[in-house]
Amino acid sequence: MGIGPSTKETTLHHFRDPLLDVVSKDNDIDLAGIIIVGTPQDNKEKHFVGKRTAAWVEAIRADGVIISVDGWGNSHVDFANTIEEIGKRGIPVVGMSFVGTQGSFVVKNKYMDTIVDFNKSQEGVETEVVGENNVDYLDAKKAIALLKLKMMRKGNN
Amino acid sequence: MIKKEGEKMNDEITLRRLVIKTFHINKVVFGDNNSIDNGILTINKDFKNTLQQSEDIIEEIKINIIEPRKHDIWVNTIMDIIPISTKALGKIGEGITHTLTGVYVMLTGADVEGNQMAEFGSSEGILKEKLKLNKAGTPSENDYIIHFDVILKKDLTFNRKLPLTIHKVCDEFIQEFRQILKKMDGRQATETHEFYDKIRPNKKKVVIVKQVAGQGAMHDNQLFSNEPSGFSGGKSIIDLGNVPIIMTPNEYRDGALRAMT
Repeated sequence: MGIGPSTKETTLHHFRDPLLDVVSKDNDIDLAGIIIVGTPQDNKEKHFVGKRTAAWVEAIRADGVIISVDGWGNSHVDFANTIEEIGKRGIPVVGMSFVGTQGSFVVKNKYMDTIVDFNKSQEGVETEVVGENNVDYLDAKKAIALLKLKMMRKGNN
Repeated sequence: MIKKEGEKMNDEITLRRLVIKTFHINKVVFGDNNSIDNGILTINKDFKNTLQQSEDIIEEIKINIIEPRKHDIWVNTIMDIIPISTKALGKIGEGITHTLTGVYVMLTGADVEGNQMAEFGSSEGILKEKLKLNKAGTPSENDYIIHFDVILKKDLTFNRKLPLTIHKVCDEFIQEFRQILKKMDGRQATETHEFYDKIRPNKKKVVIVKQVAGQGAMHDNQLFSNEPSGFSGGKSIIDLGNVPIIMTPNEYRDGALRAMT
């Protein structure tokens, strides 16, 4: 469970985060803010923080959400739960995660239909190379494109 | 939102400004004092001794200067890559930040017996095989790396205190350079970047959620430290109960999140 060396986001990554750069520079998007949510150990706590996140997103009246996770395995329990809590409130959500072949989701739900897999390794595994399986500009552009599509579809319904 | 007559509904509303000024470093060397001068960063060769003695669980601190493209060396597991940034004016998310380019700090850690400071796979080994360069979170091939290696004493019980102490001493080391960087003349900056927290009315309102580790010991993150990408004064996501915390884009961009994973 947790974060391997290749999926770990360094402090430098947060400082120069491609996801923030792409979304904040997009003139079609009003970026309301960034929510940082932790990954508790206990299952009950996982559900608690996921639901609180979704309540925030709803309170902000967000049209859409991009959620990115820095780990896999056990962290996907939180990831899936938070996506479900956001999705069932009728808010379009796009996920970003390391998946590859090794990080297949341990739990899934119907709101996880748009996931950007930022695995970069040939074999799709945790390579233990720092910086390898991280979000880059292309991943961020894919995520915002998917979200725009999802928000547009919702608007048309 | 109350709009003045005649104002277009799509006008952007600026909330606040953050200026990030970069100072490029061309060379890192050891010397008698910590200094930054004319693109040369000098590390006091004896400073590590003071830091080493400040914590009883630390056996030794080693500081290496890794020159660009000389990555054929063995390192302990990489705990973090940290930019050297400081507030010159204001608090995190607004005002002016000074940051160094061309050099980043790489924090590694293990105990004297070689047990690595990692819980879910570790990255000790030959650096060129363990660090993917030119990514958002890693140095470029032309950057210097200040390798800050912390060796703990043997037979310590593995708990949160160990990684926290390692991050703390590394932060104290970086703080020495932040103090110098803080006072550098902004007009001498290599590059100046302006960022605005803004509202774009009538555009799709989007929230970014970053799910970060908070399970314990090696899975922690520090929020809103005193300095950008710093440690001291921050709040641990574990201690905050892992609950969602909202940051403005500029707060996030200004190093309000410190990885301790």
